[in-house]
Formats: sequence, structure tokens, C-alpha cells
Amino acid sequence: MEEQGCPRCKTTKYRNPSLKLLVNVCGHSLCESCVELLFVKGSGLCPECGTSLRRSTFRLQIFEDASVEKEIDIRKRVLRDFNKKEEDFPSLQEYNDYLEMIETIVFNLTNHQDVEATKKMIDQYKKENKDQIKKNLSKLSKDEEFLETLIEQEQHETTIRKMILLEEEKKEKAAKRKSKEALIDALMYQDRPAHDIISSHKELAQHEELEAKRATTAFSTGIKIGHRSDIVPLNKQETAQLYRYCPLVIEWCGPEPPTVDELYTDGYLRNIRTISDAERAGGFREALACHRALQDAFSGLYSFPNVSAPSPAKRKSFPQTAAHSPMITS
Amino acid sequence: MGEDGTDRYEKIDFLGEGQFATVYKAKDKKTNKIVAVKKIKLGSRTEAADGINRTALREIKLLQELSHKHIIGLLDVFGHKSNVSLVFDFMETDLEVVIRDSSLIMTAPHIKSYVLQTLLGLEYLHAHWVLHRDMKPNNLLINEGGVLKIGDFGLARFFGSPSRPYSHQVVTRWYRCPELLFGARAYGEGVDIWAVGCIIAELLIRAPFLPGESDLDQINRIFQVLGTPTEAEWPDMKCLPDFIVFKEFPRQSLKDIFTAASDDLLEVLNSMLSLNPSKRCTATQALQMSYFSNKPAPTLSHLLPFPKSNKIIDKEKEAKMPSLKRKQESSDSVSLKKRLVF
Repeated sequence: MEEQGCPRCKTTKYRNPSLKLLVNVCGHSLCESCVELLFVKGSGLCPECGTSLRRSTFRLQIFEDASVEKEIDIRKRVLRDFNKKEEDFPSLQEYNDYLEMIETIVFNLTNHQDVEATKKMIDQYKKENKDQIKKNLSKLSKDEEFLETLIEQEQHETTIRKMILLEEEKKEKAAKRKSKEALIDALMYQDRPAHDIISSHKELAQHEELEAKRATTAFSTGIKIGHRSDIVPLNKQETAQLYRYCPLVIEWCGPEPPTVDELYTDGYLRNIRTISDAERAGGFREALACHRALQDAFSGLYSFPNVSAPSPAKRKSFPQTAAHSPMITS
Repeated sequence: MGEDGTDRYEKIDFLGEGQFATVYKAKDKKTNKIVAVKKIKLGSRTEAADGINRTALREIKLLQELSHKHIIGLLDVFGHKSNVSLVFDFMETDLEVVIRDSSLIMTAPHIKSYVLQTLLGLEYLHAHWVLHRDMKPNNLLINEGGVLKIGDFGLARFFGSPSRPYSHQVVTRWYRCPELLFGARAYGEGVDIWAVGCIIAELLIRAPFLPGESDLDQINRIFQVLGTPTEAEWPDMKCLPDFIVFKEFPRQSLKDIFTAASDDLLEVLNSMLSLNPSKRCTATQALQMSYFSNKPAPTLSHLLPFPKSNKIIDKEKEAKMPSLKRKQESSDSVSLKKRLVF
């Protein structure tokens, strides 16, 4: 994995773990200290592309690829104007066309294609749809309002739960105080010998504590630990089948990759980066990565989507070839 | 998937609440099946602005690819406004309830059945390059028919990619393996297998096997029981990021701890609880061990012990409550009278 770093001062995440990369509308990243240095006056030019930037618009880079950030910025700006909803269109077809148009605009702006024409298009759209944009802006806030109420509701629930807890705590404290007072009262007014009273009081307190404890050791499902008043009778053993191991069969839809043993014997692993001691100690093995890479490469090779649409069950058995870099080098 | 989600599922009961979600029992009006609907919480304002919750995304992404008898089925996902809900098979109870319910008797065939079902699910997961990373009795769900399914994929991820470091802050502490406690950033199926070892131990003694109170205490407990590993047993152990030298404990024989376990089961346990992850068996290897094919045969799912439903217990609780209250009230009145004398 390539080390993330600031393109200007070349500091990397490795050398400075607290490195914070910031990004602005042009999609070029800079580290926090470089931003501070270059934009003392509040605004300046991007050292990469020369776009004039304001310091206040710098924000934390979330994605490793800074161009993604740029696209997000552009998309946000475009969507502020292109805020029509599906309800605003008479048919799904037209709505889809509209969405397609937005995507084209965003793509053009991010990749510097026909920027002038695209900008003209946006301006024209803005002029034509002035009223609707304004109207939809207020509509958008309705959606946000709904979100707010949902969040508030959730927070309300948590406060109620907290209150109940507090209440319980209070009750417990009150009970303790009461039992103390009762003891003192008993010592003052009863004729029994003092140690007798104290010991009987202790017993009572212990009993109560036990009660309380039992309540707290109940599991979330309501079953208590020490609860064995009624033992469920054992089911009579039916003549169950002994277990025989049958290997898992997975439909990979491709040629069979070499088995893990073959990876070792046939020299596949020679083409692979040897793992570090720490990785080996953690239980990671070269064969794991190699096996997965080969399987990912082979799976689906026999799949011909035009013959018949794959049934959902079959599709499920494909491994997800998520973005991962295979270890095999030539 | 179903856009008509909110209409399709009819809420029946509130089941529970976690950090990220609330779970409801619901009826699927289309199929008349009982399902569990997991509604993902929005959380704070900033979290809501970030979009869909990460654990939910993980569950959706992974479970869509998987379909197996012993893995929880994700039936549907639907969104309403900014809420996302996942629809799962409805599971009556989980293994933790079964283990803790001391009114249930657990025999050797029962244990074999639970372990077998768990490993079959795990073998399938690992074959699809998925690490569960949160194996514990609480996440082994059991349905009415006694079929055990692995659930809660909030921490699961694909494994086998060499260049991506993984977090070591996974797995509930009691089931966390030594390499994770030492901060390993690259690991394999061993993390799940260790947890299964702990679960088998818990099935045998009906109490958590290694209930550590902190991460440090957890390693300490592990070494107290299984002995401090030597350089020969676990080479390169010192290279792990958070490695610390521990006091030398002698290894205790598992036979002395699990006196009721048969020898073939101890063989499985010994292999799963190897301190060195490279020496731990895989799910496939474990299933081929003699324990599973030996007598006694594993109990059929529908004959496994089943805890009483929560509702009955709740009722029992209610029945007991009034008597307690009355006692408290009477003691109240006594102290009041006394105070009048003052």
C-alpha cells in the first residue's frame, strides 16, 4: 500500500502519525501545517494547479484518493441547483434522463471536459428553473426536519432510560438509609441485647442484598443464573446418525484452483512476497493469500451470462472479489 | 429489494436493543412468516450525516453473499427515509441462554451437536474467505427447531488479502485469542477457532472459561491455564506489536479442568486452544477429527434442550413480585410508627 503523504513537504503518515491531510475544491491535498504556512493571509493559490483557494474551505480528507473529494465537492455544488425530485417528473424515463444529465455534468467538471459548455448548460438550467429550485430548497429542509425529529426521538428515549436508572439508584439509596435508621431505632427502643439486634439486622441486610443481586444477575433474556427450581426432563435419545465428514462443495463456476498442499509442493509460493515474522506469528500464511488470489482469478471463468441468467442461489456462491491486491508477482 | 418494507412487515414485539440497532419481532405479511427486523439507529447528528452505519453495511455486504443452513439468513433490506432495516430469520434464543439456564441438562451428545453445527457454519464462512471475528455464545442463535445459526456479522470481514492491516480490537474479550491480545495486524481463521474452543469449554463447565477483566488480565488468565508459551512453541511471538514478557506459568492439563470431557473431545480442545495460531486446526480439520464421528452421535436438532420462553419466566416474576412489595410496605409502616414516637 502506498504511503499517504503530503505532496508539498513529503511528510508521510509513517513519519508523523498525527498527520492530517486537508483538501480543497480543486482536489489536491495538503497537510495541515502546509495549509497554515501557505494560507496565512486567508487565501492563496494551490501549489499544484494554481487555483485560487480560500483557507476556510479546506476540509479533512476522508478518502485516500483526493480526486474523489473533488468530485464530492462538485457534486454538492451541482446538486444544490439540480434539486428536482422523482415526483417532479411525469415518468420514470424522464427522471432517469435527468439523473443521467447530472452525472454527465459532474463527470465533465471533475475531468475538465467541455467545462465552458457545461457551465453554460448549468446557467441556462438555473435561469429556466429558478422558481422550482427555490421551491425544492424548502422541500429539502422538510426531509431534514424529518431526520431531526427522528434523532430527537432517539435522544428522548435515551434520556428516559437514564432517568429510570437514576430513579432506581435513588430508591436503592433510600432503602439503605431506611434500614440504617431502623437499626438505630431498634437499638434505642428494643429491650433485646445489642449484639442480638445487630446480628439479626445483618442477616436481614444480607438477605436483601442477595435478593437484589439475583435481580441483577438475570440475563437480558430474563433467565437467572441460580434458578433451578424445575429441571426440564431429558428428551429420550432417538437413534441419531453418527456424523460423517463430507467436504464442503462450493460452486465456483471455474477451473479447480490448486489445493493448499499443492501450493507448497508445486512451488507456487516461490512467486510470493515472504511474510514478515509478525504476520507469521499472528497466524497469517502466504498460502492463504495465494490460495484466495488464485481462487478469485479462477472463479466465474465458466460463467456465461448470455446463456441463461444466473439463478440467485448460484450468484450467492461467488466470492466477492472485493478490491484487494493479489500478491502474485511475475 | 422491497421498497414497501414498512407496509410489508407488521411489528409484533420488541425484542432487544444494542448499541447500533433495535430488534423487533415482526410478521411478514407476504409470506406469513415470523421474522426479526433489525432497525439501524441513526445515532448522533454527525453520524447521521455520514450516511449508513458501518456495521450495518458490513452485515448487508457479507450476508448477501452467503447462504447456509448454519448461518443467519438475511431475508430483506429496506429503507424508509434515512432509516435502514435488515430482515433476518427469526431466532427464538441463543446459546448463551441455553448455557446459563441451569434447569437444562446438557449431555455429551448435546454438546457435540452444538459444536458440530457451529463448525459447519464456520467452515462455510472460512471457505468463502469471511472471518466472523465475534464468535461467542450470544451470537450463536438457535431457532424453534433447535438449529444453530451463526449471527451478528457486524465485525465480520473478508480475509486473505495480504496488504490490508486488520484491527486487533475485535472479538469480545473473553473469546479473544492470544495473537489478537498481542496486537497482531495480520491474522487468519485462528481467531474464530480459538473462540470456538472457548465456547466448547463454556459448554462443558457452564460458565465462561476465561473471563478476563481487562486485556492484560485476559492474557494472564490464558497463560495461567495453558502455560506461558516458549520460543519453541510459538516462534516470532516477540515480533507482535504489543508483545510483553509474562511470568512463566506451567501448563495445566486440560483433562484436570474438564474432568467430564471424553479424550476425543480433549483432542479437539487442545488443538483449538493452541497458543500458536499456526498450530490451531482449521474448521475443516476439526470436523475430520475422530470426536465428531465417534459415538455418541450428535443429538438431532429438534431434540436439543430448549429454554422456556421468556414470557413464561416474566409471568413467574410477576407472580413473585407482590409478596416482596408487601414485605417492604409493612416494614415502611413500622418505621413510620416509630418515628411518631420520637
